[in-house]
Amino acid sequence: MRDIITPVASIAASLVIVGILLAAIGINPLEAYAVMFTRSFTSKFGLAELCVKTTPLILTGLAVAIPLRAGLWNIGAEGQLYMGAFAASVIALYSNLPSYAMLPAMFLTAAIFGMAWAAIPAVLKAKFDLNEILSTLLLNYVAIYWVEYMVYGPMRGKEVYNFPYTDLFPDAATLPRFFGTRFHLGFFIAIIIAIAINHIVNKTDFGFSLRVVGANPKAADYAGISRQKVIIYSMLLGGMFAGMAGMIEVSGIQLRLRPLISTGYGYAGIPVALLASGNPLLVMASAALFGFLYVGGSVLQTTYSVPVSIVYVFQSLIVLFIIAGQSLRRRE
Amino acid sequence: MIDIGFLASLLASSIRAGTPLLYATLGEIITERSGVLNLGLEGIMITGAFTGFAVSLATGNPWLGVLCGGLAGMLLALVHAFFSITLKANQSITGLMLVLLGLGITGFLGRNYIGEVAFYLDPVKIPILSDIPLIGQVLFNQDPLAYLALILAAILWFILFRTRYGLEIIAAGEKPEAADSMGVNVDKVRYISTLFGGLLVGIGGAYLSLAYAKLWTEGMTAGRGWICLALVIFSGWMPQRAILGAYLFGGLDVLSFKLQATGVGISYHLMKMVPYVVTIVVLLFSVIRKRAAFGAPAALGIPYVRGRKE
Repeated sequence: MRDIITPVASIAASLVIVGILLAAIGINPLEAYAVMFTRSFTSKFGLAELCVKTTPLILTGLAVAIPLRAGLWNIGAEGQLYMGAFAASVIALYSNLPSYAMLPAMFLTAAIFGMAWAAIPAVLKAKFDLNEILSTLLLNYVAIYWVEYMVYGPMRGKEVYNFPYTDLFPDAATLPRFFGTRFHLGFFIAIIIAIAINHIVNKTDFGFSLRVVGANPKAADYAGISRQKVIIYSMLLGGMFAGMAGMIEVSGIQLRLRPLISTGYGYAGIPVALLASGNPLLVMASAALFGFLYVGGSVLQTTYSVPVSIVYVFQSLIVLFIIAGQSLRRRE
Repeated sequence: MIDIGFLASLLASSIRAGTPLLYATLGEIITERSGVLNLGLEGIMITGAFTGFAVSLATGNPWLGVLCGGLAGMLLALVHAFFSITLKANQSITGLMLVLLGLGITGFLGRNYIGEVAFYLDPVKIPILSDIPLIGQVLFNQDPLAYLALILAAILWFILFRTRYGLEIIAAGEKPEAADSMGVNVDKVRYISTLFGGLLVGIGGAYLSLAYAKLWTEGMTAGRGWICLALVIFSGWMPQRAILGAYLFGGLDVLSFKLQATGVGISYHLMKMVPYVVTIVVLLFSVIRKRAAFGAPAALGIPYVRGRKE
């Protein structure tokens, strides 16, 4: 029961503070929250958008949650997502694969690139004990500028009127959409992955060693579990999920590579994972909550022209409140 | 291609670009010396930049803007201090959330300020000295805050290494148990250092909008807060050494713009990566050469709990 109190109280407190901010710029917060709610839940398009935003958040939530189980903070999901999107786009645009092999190949390369990008901070952490929070974060900027460089330069499309975009992907490289909305196959892929990783985390030796290293590194040494291996594997898994999220975003939503394919999905993975306390099944629920915040954020933007950055405020407040709650409980 | 005029303007703008970095780096040095790791510089700087700009626009007084920018930075630092000193929470994550909070709030409140023209800090020529060719333009034709940053570095060096209070800060960061047993109030020292650090980082942000860029845009700190974290390590936690690092990175920033303007064939987007790659390399060097040898406070980032045995 007490496990529920901290997250619920954190959400409530954040709603109050964001409400005060909304009121400060002359918007009735209760009215705004009501509009957010009805627009997201009462139409086919609202619900579809909810799933569209939830999809990458499930994957970036897992990208943070799995390393977190081993006590590692993967702040780099954003960059890993960009690298996955970049790799998938290269395959989509230049590989000329037969259509049945296109999507699987994109998926695989995105996963590998996400992993490779996570491997850098993982190895630096395991070998040199370099703070993974800083290294993953700095690599985000490098990945984002890399994608910028590619779409402004080598990968810029021929039919884009000088916009920094690639050309549109061929049809075989796009995920099928349903119901005449943007709702796409990626949603189901994300859910299947979350269920599969839940099994791995709870039922396998690897999942066990993750937990031991996270809970008590010294005990891991006594139990003969290699901490270095666990550090590297958990980060690689995290990077893989974020890379997949990148592929799903370009192939399900953007249909091309361009700058700003992610509006902070990688960073949102942090509160998603924390709110779920690292449990892959709960990650789906908290991803849905943050998906709602994203949809709600854009509703506020179109209705009241409130900048979407209000979503960041909300995210950071929730994390701060959860941390405060955890610290207070530890002291009791 | 490189003539003296190009060089002079490059060096002069390197100092202007380096000054906000210098303020933030000095602030973080004081914070970290006391044992608190504040990763929130990026969020504190942007809050200082926005507050400074908004206050200058509203009051017509850029100096009041700088002051309020500093106070806003202090306020965010207070949040960090409360979480890391009083609640003894994970300092890295708290700091990171300050970044998100600062970027979010300023993006939210700042939307109506984009494109506005506020009142800015102007350069003050130092008589006679500013007439020296090259050096005059580079060193003696800056705004008062740029001069102040240099003086501040000297003052902080003096306080840290030549006064009793500096000794208490260093003791709180190196051996809090020993400091405590000598009658130093570790929590109080850490609170004051973190707040003072936030003040300087906020002023650095205000400098960015009121003296360097002379405008407000969303996310205008563009990663400078992260670079300052590396500069702290680069300087070995020594205020006097922060000067060189800050101007060097300032120069790197300016150079990427100038090269773009002169049409040298290096991609602007690739140049933007350089500070981050350099930062990672600096970090790597610092860990390979062992933290202690490199001068990191021994208790950096570790909450102090009275009577706990390590």
